[in-house]
Amino acid sequence: MRPGKSVIEIQNLTKIYRGSRNPALDKISLYIDEGMFFGLLGPNGAGKTTMIHILCGLLSATSGKVDIGGFSLENHLPQIRKIIGVVPQEIALYPSLTARENLSVFGGVCGLKGTVLKTRMDELLQVFGLDRNRKMQVGRYSGGMKRRLNLIAGMLHDPRILILDEPTVGVDVQSKNVIVENLMALNRKGTTIVYTSHYLEEAENLCSYLAIIDEGRVITRGTLDEIRKAHNSGSKLEDIFLELTGKNPRD
Amino acid sequence: MRTILKLVYKDYLVLIRDVAGLAMLFIMPLALVLIMTSLQDTTFRAINESGIKLVILNADTDSLGMAIEKEIIRSSFFNVNREIDNKPPTEETMRNAVASGRYQIGMIIPEGATRRIREQVSNNVSRLFSGDSLVRPGTDSLFIHLYIDPATKNSLRSSLQGSIREYTAQIESRIILSELTREINKHMMLSVPDLNQMQQETIFYREEYVARGDKKSIPNSVQHNVPAWTLFAMFFIVIPFASSMIKEREDGSLSRLLTMPCNFTTIMLSKVTVYLVVCYLQFICIILMGIYLFPLCGLPALVLGGRLADLSIIALAASLAAIGYGIAVGTLARTHQQAAIFASISVVILAAMGGIWVPLFMMPPFFRQISVISPLNWGLNGFYDILVRNASLKEVSHYLILLLIFSVGCQLVALYYHRLRKEYI
Repeated sequence: MRPGKSVIEIQNLTKIYRGSRNPALDKISLYIDEGMFFGLLGPNGAGKTTMIHILCGLLSATSGKVDIGGFSLENHLPQIRKIIGVVPQEIALYPSLTARENLSVFGGVCGLKGTVLKTRMDELLQVFGLDRNRKMQVGRYSGGMKRRLNLIAGMLHDPRILILDEPTVGVDVQSKNVIVENLMALNRKGTTIVYTSHYLEEAENLCSYLAIIDEGRVITRGTLDEIRKAHNSGSKLEDIFLELTGKNPRD
Repeated sequence: MRTILKLVYKDYLVLIRDVAGLAMLFIMPLALVLIMTSLQDTTFRAINESGIKLVILNADTDSLGMAIEKEIIRSSFFNVNREIDNKPPTEETMRNAVASGRYQIGMIIPEGATRRIREQVSNNVSRLFSGDSLVRPGTDSLFIHLYIDPATKNSLRSSLQGSIREYTAQIESRIILSELTREINKHMMLSVPDLNQMQQETIFYREEYVARGDKKSIPNSVQHNVPAWTLFAMFFIVIPFASSMIKEREDGSLSRLLTMPCNFTTIMLSKVTVYLVVCYLQFICIILMGIYLFPLCGLPALVLGGRLADLSIIALAASLAAIGYGIAVGTLARTHQQAAIFASISVVILAAMGGIWVPLFMMPPFFRQISVISPLNWGLNGFYDILVRNASLKEVSHYLILLLIFSVGCQLVALYYHRLRKEYI
């Protein structure tokens, strides 16, 4: 990964929240190549969500530079919004609307219309096993169904880059399996995926490239093999993670 | 354009699926306007139509006592009672009955009241004819005792006292004239007819409600109350509006929209569109209720005088002001509780300042001065000018402009705070 070849370029990214002395992100530089399944890992409060929020334009950086798809985040946010899809940690859906109505709204806002939107909605609802409940209000869905729909809403417009903030948190094994399989399929088709999770085993299986951050800094990065070699060859990612971030619980 | 249409569709669906919330948006304002108008109309009638419960102990069996009692009954201001619990009242039972609120007013006309006033007048007239001074130290005064329920409003009490004074003064002057006639006849050996027969009203009042142009306006409680309480109800949309914004922010759907090709202004514009329609429908429902339902409830019908279009423009401007305020509250408040408490209290304060509850001319000078900063005052003046003063739309345009400036100002504050939050928080 090097500047100029990457679809996401993050240089010296710093974020200091108002009233805080310690930076949430401290001069982070990362380069994410096109088609990569990038895992951003770290304990609670490490700065993962802050970085995701900056990448999708919800937060402004204190300093540093971010380019996404060749567009500067500072100056070309509308263009960036057209090529990214975001799956937030929360179930960001309207509970009184049905699955189809939710997708119709989000797809429409992303520029899809007519038969393209309808076909895409039907296709994804079927793939994620929600087609039978497409006319049910989302508030009546189970946790796993909501998670799956949350994911569909982010990938409906077939974005070039998909940013996921803990997409499988709190779901059963079956739903998690559906989500993971579809993310892998999407990545195989060329979509760049930026993914944060606390499930290290899941990250180990999914990600082609990993960065572990703690206290706003990147403490290690590379492919899984590179990280293993750099730390303790042969050990599990969880052991390396604990070795790097410590065993004390975080707030 | 497609984006805003999709968002309007979404906001419309979210609104109509919340049946309880929707019912409250319409039923509560209608109930508020109906109840407040009925109450104010009843209070108005209570004063005019035998509503005030008065208990009387008339110990004077002569003309003064009888005349006062007769005048009070004739006035139809009072519901006159001569008994408490089927027994003639005593001073103590009357005092207790008024203190407990069973009667608003208790009146005791003392024994020998006529005799004392007649003696006093007779003495004065005699002194007048003998060239003596009328003023005598220690002149015996007559006390008519009034017990007044402390819960009775000052304005009502003053009105009652004024009426009773008027009756007693009339009767006193009748006695004076009779005594004067008697003394004249006695001293001058004449046969002058009773001077009371000459007493007739010579000053009359002709009342006319004046409005602009040729329109003769006859305002009633409905014409006054419907605009006031409609505005009050419309401004209460701030609470559901702000709550819907906070809910969208808390569940992450606002953030999701903001990561899409869609900005904060577009999202707000969609909400403004949907809630503007809601406000206008509220207004139309209240107007229809005023025209068709009020007469069925014994209230005067609301008369629009063919000014629905002009009133609608004022209503839309007031709605925009209310919605703008809702956007500001929804953006600045961190929680539902904050928004609900702040919005409800601030709307009540703005309503009180704006003259919704108490007419401006009855307010202390300071409040009259600050009332001009309340958007409810601008809306109310706009409605009144059109509805009862027959003003043209051009003549109320400054109120429209103020309401729109308020709306835009609130939205700019919200936009600024939204950017600030992205930047620093």
